[in-house]
This record gives sequence, C-alpha cells and structure tokens, in this order.
Amino acid sequence: MDEFEEILQDFLIEAFELIEQLDQDLVELETRPEDLELLNRIFRVAHTIKGASSFLNFDILTHLTHHMENLLNMARHGDLIIDPNVMDVILESIDLMKALLVRIRDSGSDAGLEVLGCVERLDAVANGEVAEAASELLVEIVETATDEIDYSQMSDEEVEAEIERLLAEKNAEAAAKRSNTTKQPTIEIEKEEPDYSSMSDEEVDAEIERLILEKQAEDATKRSSKQAVPVAPIVVPVPQPKPVAAAPAPAPAPRKSEPKEEGESKSGGTVEQTIRVDVKRLDHLMNLIGELVLGKNRLIKINDDVEERYEGEAFLEELNQVVSIVSLVTTDLQIAVMKTRMLPIGKVFNKFPRMIRDLSRELNKKIELEIAGEDTELDKSIVEEIGDPLVHIIRNSCDHGIETPETRLAAGKEEMGTIHLKAYHEGNHIVIQIIDDGKGLDAEMLKMKSIEKGIITEKEADLMSEKEAFGLIFRPGFSTAAQVTSVSGRGVGMDVVKTNIEKLNGMIDIDSEVGRGTSMKLKIPLTLAIIQALLVGVQEEYYAIPLASVLETVRISKDDIYTVENRSVMRLRDEVLSLVHIGDIFEVERVFDNSEHAYVVVLGLAESKIGLIVDTLIGQEEIVIKSLGEYLKGIEGIAGATIRGDGGVTLIVDVAALMQMAKSVKSTVGNTGKEVKKIGVKNTPSDYCVMVVDDSKTDRTIMRKSLESMGITLVEAVDGVEALGILKQGEHFFDAMLIDIEMPRMDGYTLAAEIKKYNKYKNLPLIAVTSRSGKADRMRGVESGMVEYITKPYSPDYLMNVVKRNIKFNEGL
Amino acid sequence: MSEKLQQIINKQNRALVGDDKKIDEVIQLVGFIVGEEEFSIPILSIQEIIKPIPWTRVPQTPSYILGVFNLRGSVIPLIDLRSRFGLEVQKHTEETRFIVMKSGDDVAGFVIDRLTEAIRMPKHDIGPAPETISEAESMIDGVGKQADRIVTILKVHKLLERNF
Repeated sequence: MDEFEEILQDFLIEAFELIEQLDQDLVELETRPEDLELLNRIFRVAHTIKGASSFLNFDILTHLTHHMENLLNMARHGDLIIDPNVMDVILESIDLMKALLVRIRDSGSDAGLEVLGCVERLDAVANGEVAEAASELLVEIVETATDEIDYSQMSDEEVEAEIERLLAEKNAEAAAKRSNTTKQPTIEIEKEEPDYSSMSDEEVDAEIERLILEKQAEDATKRSSKQAVPVAPIVVPVPQPKPVAAAPAPAPAPRKSEPKEEGESKSGGTVEQTIRVDVKRLDHLMNLIGELVLGKNRLIKINDDVEERYEGEAFLEELNQVVSIVSLVTTDLQIAVMKTRMLPIGKVFNKFPRMIRDLSRELNKKIELEIAGEDTELDKSIVEEIGDPLVHIIRNSCDHGIETPETRLAAGKEEMGTIHLKAYHEGNHIVIQIIDDGKGLDAEMLKMKSIEKGIITEKEADLMSEKEAFGLIFRPGFSTAAQVTSVSGRGVGMDVVKTNIEKLNGMIDIDSEVGRGTSMKLKIPLTLAIIQALLVGVQEEYYAIPLASVLETVRISKDDIYTVENRSVMRLRDEVLSLVHIGDIFEVERVFDNSEHAYVVVLGLAESKIGLIVDTLIGQEEIVIKSLGEYLKGIEGIAGATIRGDGGVTLIVDVAALMQMAKSVKSTVGNTGKEVKKIGVKNTPSDYCVMVVDDSKTDRTIMRKSLESMGITLVEAVDGVEALGILKQGEHFFDAMLIDIEMPRMDGYTLAAEIKKYNKYKNLPLIAVTSRSGKADRMRGVESGMVEYITKPYSPDYLMNVVKRNIKFNEGL
Repeated sequence: MSEKLQQIINKQNRALVGDDKKIDEVIQLVGFIVGEEEFSIPILSIQEIIKPIPWTRVPQTPSYILGVFNLRGSVIPLIDLRSRFGLEVQKHTEETRFIVMKSGDDVAGFVIDRLTEAIRMPKHDIGPAPETISEAESMIDGVGKQADRIVTILKVHKLLERNF
C-alpha cells in the first residue's frame, strides 16, 4: 500500500509538471498548427498520463486521456487541422484532466467528475461519423468539425460571423451541459471503459510491457537524435529534444510513475541528475543557516572587540583567519541553500499565454503576450505568492489597458495589442515588469473617479502628483470600469496586488502615458528569511528596517522641515515627501534633545513613499527574521525581531504597517518647543515643587525660610551633579529651579546647559541666585538658559515673588 | 504472543498509574517574592531561572511588558510581575531574577523580586483560591498552607495568556 502511495505521489508530481508546460505549448500550437515538434510534445504528455493512470487504475482519467491521445494522434499525422474550435475542445479536456488530477491528489480517487460530455466532443471533433449517435448539440459540433475545410476559403467577415455563431453555440451548449450533468454520469463511463477495467492481470501486464517498450524506443530515438543534432531536421515525426526553455524534460517522468520499469531502465545506465527533496527539509536547513548567520555576526563582533584589546598579539592573526573563513563559508553556504530553494519564474509565467488567449476571446480583443526572462530564479515561497498579483495585473491590462481592435486602428495603432512580461535580476531583487501598449492611465480621470467614489477628497486630489494619482488604482473600492464584467470592475483586484506585494516587502512603480500604454514594475526581494537591513537609532533604541524598502537616506537640517496641514513634509528634489519621526511611531520617550540635524530614511513600499526621521544611522547588516512569539504577535509596526552581534534583540520595522500608522500619528516633528507637559493637577501649594541648588548650607536655609510660607515642596541639592541626578531620577516634577552659580564639581552655567539638553526640561524655569552681578555674568546666565537673575543679598519677599511668577503660583488653584 | 504482550502492557500501565498517584499527592513548587507576598508556581512549568540580562523594549504594549530578550537564540517576551500585579515598579536588585515559564508552546520570562525556596507540598494542604475573584479571571490556582505562612499558587497558563 505504501509503495502504491509513493508511486501515486510521484505520478501526481510528474503530471502537474507536465501539464504546466502543456498550457503554453497548446497556445503556441494554435499559432503554429503545423509545428510537429510541438504536437509531438503535447501528444507525449497525454500519452504519458494515460499510461500511468491506467497502471494506477484511474479509469476515468485514462478514459479521457485516451480520447485526447486519439485526437492529438490524428493531428500529428495530419488527419486533422487544429483550428480555434478544435483547440477549445482540447483545452477543455486539458482543464478536465487537471481537475481530475487535483481530485486524485485530494481524495485519492478520480471518481465523481463528469468526463463523458468532453469525451464525446473530443470524438466528435476527431471524426464526424461516430458522433451521429450523440445528442443534437453534438451533431452541430460535428457539422462544424466537418465544415472545417471551408474556413480557409472564407472571407474575414465570414470567419468573424462564424466565430460569433460558434461562441453562441458553445455558450448554449455549456448551459445545456450544466443542466444535465447530474443525470447521466457514471453508468455510461462503465460502458465506455471496457479496455482496462475488464482486462485480466496478464492483459494489464502486457499493456504495461507495451508502454514500456514504446517508451524505451522513444528514449532511444531521442538519445540518437541528440547525438546527431543538426543532421535530420523534420523528416519523420520523431520526438526531438526539447528546446532549452522547456523546464523538466519529460524523459525521466514516466520512469518514476511506472516503478516496475525502474529496475529495467537502470540497466540502461542513465544517471539521475536531480533528486526530489521535501520542502520541509529545505525550510529546516534554512532555519539552521539562519542560526549560523547570527552566530557568524556575533563572532565578527567578538573578533573586533578582541582585536581592540589585544592589539599586536600574535594569536590575533590566527583568530582573524578563522573568523574570516567561517564568515566566508557561512555566506557561501547561505547562498547555496538559498539557491536550492530557487525556482524559475517561468513556473508562474507559463499559465499566462493561456489566460491571455482566453481573455482576448472573451473580450473580443487582439492581444499578444511576449514573455522574457522566464529563467530568472527566485525563492519558492515568493514564486507561490507572486502568481495572484500578476494575474490581476495582466487581467487589468487586458481589460482596461488594451483597447478594442477598432479603437486601436482609429488611434493609428496596430490592431494587435501587446503585453510584455519581463523578469530580471537587479541586485538583491527580482524585477517583474508588465508593459502594455494600451490606452494608458489618465491621472486627471483617476482623481475624478476617486473623488466620485469618496476614496479621496478634492483637496487631497489637488495635492497629488501624477505618480500618486496612478497609485489610486490600488485603493480598495476603486474601479474605472463603467460596467462590472466577469473580468473586472469590482475594484478588488488591484487592492490584492498591493497587499500581496507589500507582504513580500516589494515595491510597485507605475509609469504611464495616455495613449501610449502603461508600465508596471514590481521589485521584490529574492528571499524572505534572511534579509539585509538598515539599522537606525532613536534615543537609546535601535530598529532594523528591511533594506528592500529603503530607497535612500538623506541628512537634513531642522529648517528643511515644513508643516503643511499639520503634517511635516520636506522637499526631496522635485517631490514633496511627508515625514514622520520614528519616535512618534514607537512611543520612544525623547529624553535628549535632537540636534540641529536629522537623518531621513526614505522608505518606499508598493507605490507609496514616506520619510522616516531617525536620530542616527548605524549601518547595514544581514539579519535573520525571528518571530516575537505567540504572546507578542501582531504588534502594529513590528514585523519581528532579530538577534544582533552583541546578543541583544533588535526589532524589525514592518514598513507597510508603519506607513499606515504614520497617517494617524500625531506629529511632533519640527515643533519641539511645544512639548507635551505631564503636569499633574495642582490642588494644593505642596503640589508645586522647586529645587534649590546651592553648595552653602546657609544660603539654602535662607531660601527655604523665604519660601516656606508658600507651602510649596522644596528639594535641595548641594551641587550641579547632584541636581542633575535628582532630575534624571524623575521622582519629582519640578516647576522651577533656583541655582547658585559658584559651585564645586559642576557650576550653575554648566548645570543649566545640561538641563536644557533634555527635551522634557526645555521650559523649566531656571533662576540664578548669585552674588555675581556683572553684566557679563548676566549675559552668560541668559546664554545658558536662565530666565531670571537674582543677586544676593535679596529680600525674602522678592525671592518669593520671582518664584511665584515663574511657577504660575495660584493660577491653577 | 500478542495476548501475552497485552497483559504485560496492562500490568505496566497499572503500575504506572499507581506510581502517579503516589507522586501526585505531593506537589513541588518554587516560591518567590513579588512585592510583599510570596507566590509559587509548579516546578515543572519552569524552563529556567536566570539573572537579569538586557532586554529590548517593544512599543504598543502595556507597561507591564518590559520587552523581549534573547535566551540562547530565542526571542522571548519579558513581563514584570510587579506591575502586572499593579504594584509600584522598583529598580532591579542583586536578588532580582527572570523566571522563564512555559505552558505548551507559550514561553515568557517573568521578573520577580527574589526567590525563596523549592517547596514540597502535600496536595491536601492546598486550598481553593479566595472566592471573591471570579474563577475565569483569577490568576490564582490555589492557596498552600504551611506551618508558618501562606503561599499563593499561580496559574502559569493564565500568566502566559495574552490579555491586551
């Protein structure tokens, strides 16, 4: 039983691989019906699947593929000309075959799917005579099938009309089929299926034997034709080696699905070039490599420290060597493992020719798809995620981009619209470009529609650049289609594109020109688990930003920041970039005052951009993404954590979430003066708190006595250092400070300057109480941030009044 | 053969169940102080106890979540039990420890003021939690009575439950 399971798994994997290639081949076949090599390839797929499925007792599948094989065989021998109608039937049967395979994968059996109708149509197309017994609908098809010769003589209009008629017919037929699918399913299949199910064991063996022989002969001819490559072009329909682009050669396929053969074919001496590996094992390997990378980072850090401490010692040389070897090997290993997970993007691209064909027939447009760079490789997990967005973009291009043939002709363009699908590497990214030569995006029209649908306000629209307006197509609920068709118009698709690309940390760049077409550029990182990150600092915290989302970093001065409608913005070349401080997003308490300069990290994600203000830029580092675990998952703005070289944990910024948060965050950029005071309600005089800083006990006592009558809280410090310590502790919130200038350890001026470095104390009134009364001293006092200057000696009342004025005593009571 | 085997297995199972009963009667707990009170948790729910190490603050979380720290390559949340229990936050001292607790797949570190001792407590000495607190909300599993003191036993799974 287990053995059977194994065979089945192999069979399914092979079959799906074969089918993937099939779609593309079929569409190609339609344009080049005489291409024997293509036909042979398609025929072989049907044949292989038929052989294997009969061996595995999937009767329905065998039945279907048998008839497909028949039809294709006729075409191969030139008895049948492949035209769009024949193609429709073939494509339908392929779809059915896929559905059957999916069913087998999920439930282990191919029962329950209706193939009869399709088989009948296959037969009908194949030969007119047999079909007479079939239903009326089928007769019609037979007619079209026998009529086929006429097409070549028909005029364009006639063909057009004919297609029109066929389409209508097909629709009616599909409807009819739907209505009676439930009635006549299984019984007939049994009747049709005498060959395999009723066969005796010996007969089955004989059949297998035959298939094996056939296969071997095929292989042999293939090998021989490989050796003598250019000699014999197309003399007989001999299977030829596939062109380079074709991914998995079908040759090893049947060998796996028919394991009985395995022993025999091994004697043939072919060497296995590939092995199949469970993805889980690769994932595990990738995790281990992740740990190794962290270890490497740590080792490098320790090496640096050691180098500093034991400079010039002999063993350092050796340590250095070891560390560099380890880091080199780790990097190579990481790349090697990453490569094992890479798949060609062709896997995704393959389904598009078929999709374009179907769409162009559905929409009555003429569209050609040109694919380039399908060999470009990227991580498996990304290949899986990228399919959906591409489908939506291409559908969009077909539906909204490419115009109808008449419009195109009227606009002086070629009747045939073209969509280019390109993939190529750019640094650590893969770029996928979708270019159409359709009508392009009209920024003004997009804005208008968005206002109409309430997605943006008119004011917002006025401020929008052309690029931003193009970005509107990604907003949920946006649609320019006047009517909802089966293809588009619900305003969902492009939203999906954006979400998926964001999930991959990718970027979208749209370029468009009215009347000329649209180009959409998706830029996606090659892998997800280990990434390059930019480390930034804010106050005493560090954050890692995925480098994939970083467009550039700029150093600006405070004066470059403007405020527009309560948002901070800056001018970056010819663009206006909105700014947000990382501290506002992550609730970082800003103890230190930021200097006159700030760094702006320009972040780009999907189609939007934002400037993130940080205090410091630390540098670029390779980081491994770790989850924060169940307890802390889903924290807004945090994508995960990583462990740095020093063993500390650094949080990774979730750029997509950050952009969302930036919209609602209350900005404090640029208006550092208006800090938010946490003043408690002052109910009694003792809620007011004043610090007295003086090195002389006598002076402190005098001040205390003068202020005692007010009933306010007084805290004493003997010098600047102690005063600063008390402030830092944060036990009291001071309303004012009385500061002596002449003090040991730290004098009053220095203390004042230190205090003013703290954002929190920007507005704390500092009152100098000193015997120095020179003008220069006063000037110095003002420079260091003192607001009042009291010269000793003073009257208690005077001191009290000054203090009262500065702490706004009584106003709050 | 299979019958014989079954008999042996049955016998072993019975023996195991018997053993369990004996062990079950005494619970091993680890006691620690948070604020003024002594608490304890079952020793089996403790992964390890470590001295304080640096941690990283995580934004957008309640104040009792100090952040995350690195425990030999795993990123683990750190929760301050003092502020979790609504007590005033204090500076860490020489005696402060992180207790890393686990329940199923959930792991988190908890800051406690100091450890007391490992306690072996017979099951019959453990009373139910005070009834004033609703059963579902309570973090208290029971109250253990000892000769000279009372020890509150905490529900580890409740401590590890995210409640924000």
